Amino acid sequence: MSDRRVVVTGLGAVTSLGNNLETTWTGLVEGRCGIGPITLFDAEGFRTKLAAEIRELPDPGVSSRVRRRLSRTDVIGLAAAAEAIAGAGLDLSREDPARIGVVLGAGVSGLLDSENYFRKLLAHGPRAARPTLVLNQPPDQTTDRIAQRWGLLGPRSTITTACSSSATSLGYAADLIRHGVCDVVVTGGADTLARLTHGGFNALRAVDPEPCRPFDRRRKGLSIGEAAAILVFEEETRARRRGAEIHARFLGYGVTSDAHHMTQPEPSGEAGARTLRACLEAARLSPADVDYVNAHGTATPQNDPAETASLKRALGARAREIPVSSIKSMLGHCLCSAGAIEAAATVLTVARGVVPPTIHYGEPDPECDLDVVPNTARTARIRTALSNSYAFGGNSTVLAFGAFPG
Amino acid sequence: MTGPVVTGASAVTALGRDLATTRAALAVGRSAVLPVESPDLPDRTDHSPAARIAAFTPEPELPKMKARRLDRASQYAVVAARQVLADAGYAMTGREERTGILLGTGSAGAGPLVEMERQMALESPDAASPFLFPYTVSNAPASVTAIELGIKGPNVTITQKDAAALNALFYGRMLLSDGRADALLVGAADEWNLQYHLAYERVHATRTARRSGFVLGEGAACLVVEDEAAARARGAAARARVASVVMRPAALSPQVRRAEAARLAEAMNASLDEAGVPPAGVGIVHLSRNGVAATDDAEAAALAAVFPKPPPVAAVKEAIGENPFAGAVQLALAVAALHENPALGAVLVNAFGAGGNFMCAVLTRP
Repeated sequence: MSDRRVVVTGLGAVTSLGNNLETTWTGLVEGRCGIGPITLFDAEGFRTKLAAEIRELPDPGVSSRVRRRLSRTDVIGLAAAAEAIAGAGLDLSREDPARIGVVLGAGVSGLLDSENYFRKLLAHGPRAARPTLVLNQPPDQTTDRIAQRWGLLGPRSTITTACSSSATSLGYAADLIRHGVCDVVVTGGADTLARLTHGGFNALRAVDPEPCRPFDRRRKGLSIGEAAAILVFEEETRARRRGAEIHARFLGYGVTSDAHHMTQPEPSGEAGARTLRACLEAARLSPADVDYVNAHGTATPQNDPAETASLKRALGARAREIPVSSIKSMLGHCLCSAGAIEAAATVLTVARGVVPPTIHYGEPDPECDLDVVPNTARTARIRTALSNSYAFGGNSTVLAFGAFPG
Repeated sequence: MTGPVVTGASAVTALGRDLATTRAALAVGRSAVLPVESPDLPDRTDHSPAARIAAFTPEPELPKMKARRLDRASQYAVVAARQVLADAGYAMTGREERTGILLGTGSAGAGPLVEMERQMALESPDAASPFLFPYTVSNAPASVTAIELGIKGPNVTITQKDAAALNALFYGRMLLSDGRADALLVGAADEWNLQYHLAYERVHATRTARRSGFVLGEGAACLVVEDEAAARARGAAARARVASVVMRPAALSPQVRRAEAARLAEAMNASLDEAGVPPAGVGIVHLSRNGVAATDDAEAAALAAVFPKPPPVAAVKEAIGENPFAGAVQLALAVAALHENPALGAVLVNAFGAGGNFMCAVLTRP
């Protein structure tokens, strides 16, 4: 069992910076900001009217009859999955569908449609509101739709741990391969904007009226974003045998519970450090092996210093020697898909030796005194990289990726 | 025999606020499925019933003052979790980092979510309550429980249609075998909500006097699933073993409740094979049966195909309603039955959810 290793053979993304991974990556490397005015719903009356919105929906690659039933989240999820599966070069007609699983992180799913239902219901009564709009709200919809679209019959699961959902889904996906249950797993996540999440973070005063500034002393909170990111995980021996292009290795993950507070990070950093240590242990890494950390870096006043403290606790002196950047400064906080899009970016960082920057950075904060790669991307040899994801409820996950062949 | 052991079980259902009361009610054939009474119910006659927990008493496990600020699924989860730790004789102190929690859900957060939508739509965007928002997320039940009990190991919530509780058990087995924890609380928590009830009723998913369909229910149930050596080391008696959990999905559209008997039979056979239990060794089958004719008929046909001589069956969703928590209740009932009856060798639990999410689990004597 333990000799089955996991590699990444496919990647796909739909983000505010572009409708595929390559455009998104170029945007990240150029330090472009995807955060702008919200057009999806009336943002009047909210603390911020900005979010990282996907400007034009991609073609989900399904018939118009099916298309009509899809939520916005389904559309971007299917498009990202199509890119990842095509890029992996998988010939599904020759694969055993029972050996291919689907594990995604999700949460908001079709909530925007549900909101439109509830609004009509409240304003005009049940006759005016179309109840089928509610059917797309369960977060497992996109998972089922991807399985259905490609006829995948392996284990299927949706992780719903808020902002760490899709990071944890990658861990579950890797376990399915390591334990010999699957050979390939389509994994990642999709999540879109909705009034509830926007209103909720506004109500918590956790949003910045301006585009977010992770690790900057002037930071006031996060910017919400939306994205889909899908990774194809595959058992290494078989990926090599079929001559697949391997982007990186998935080395392991840590998943722990803060047991601290529903909305606040544990301030000493000890809870976050436990997750980092759990990841290093599972991936058989020592702090000295870590070359880069793709931070959770939400830009809330509380997250960034707690995350900095966690990195110092778990990585010791190494924390000060390595780049630690937050791509949320460009893509916003994509909530339940944040872990997936940040994992996809981490894979490319390892594969291409380019570290994306933390943009909007101007004033250092003594409590966030790591090398945050201010404003400009950097080339560096990155053999091993971590990606942090934290969530409401204290659900923390850290992923480790390594260069291939390594 | 391989597979982790179960050292405790609990359930909070519309039939009773603990496993013993729920079992006693089921034994005498009581059902909690009742007409929905609400001043907000539209004026129509063909409403669907539900299995609601009418007046929940969170005490003694959860102080009333604390319960008041929580969503209902979180209240049920905390109560079920405290009950299961007591049942398993599990002292958390010193074991926090080696203890995890995995819950399934299909509905957690519905109440706070609907209320926040109302605030924003009818009052103003900034009327959204910051106190409700954290409880609109599906992971609130598991995370509130982790905070209350001090659980610091893996904490994961899974949503995968009606089979989410078995899905949590499926993932939990891998986590235990990888040594990520010594013990896991595994189960599910759900809450009933009028607005979703009415929406499902209007799309003809739920049962009325005139049509077949499922009945929505709410509650929570939990198992303590432990690495066998860890259980032995703390002197805990194993009551059952998780001998197998399998997923055999079909590639269906998400809301479609349809099943081919052959696929369900394949799932049941695979779970028996993996458990090393012959069909004749199964003493009880907890059916997935929930009133949706298409799947119920397929399950009955699959049962006949797998078992030359069908064992006794239980269909508790007829009494406590459908939602992932019901799968967790079935697992808890299986553990209690195995603990109580030494002649019982194995229990099969079926969970055949919408969208082709088909799962089976086999629990055996330890």
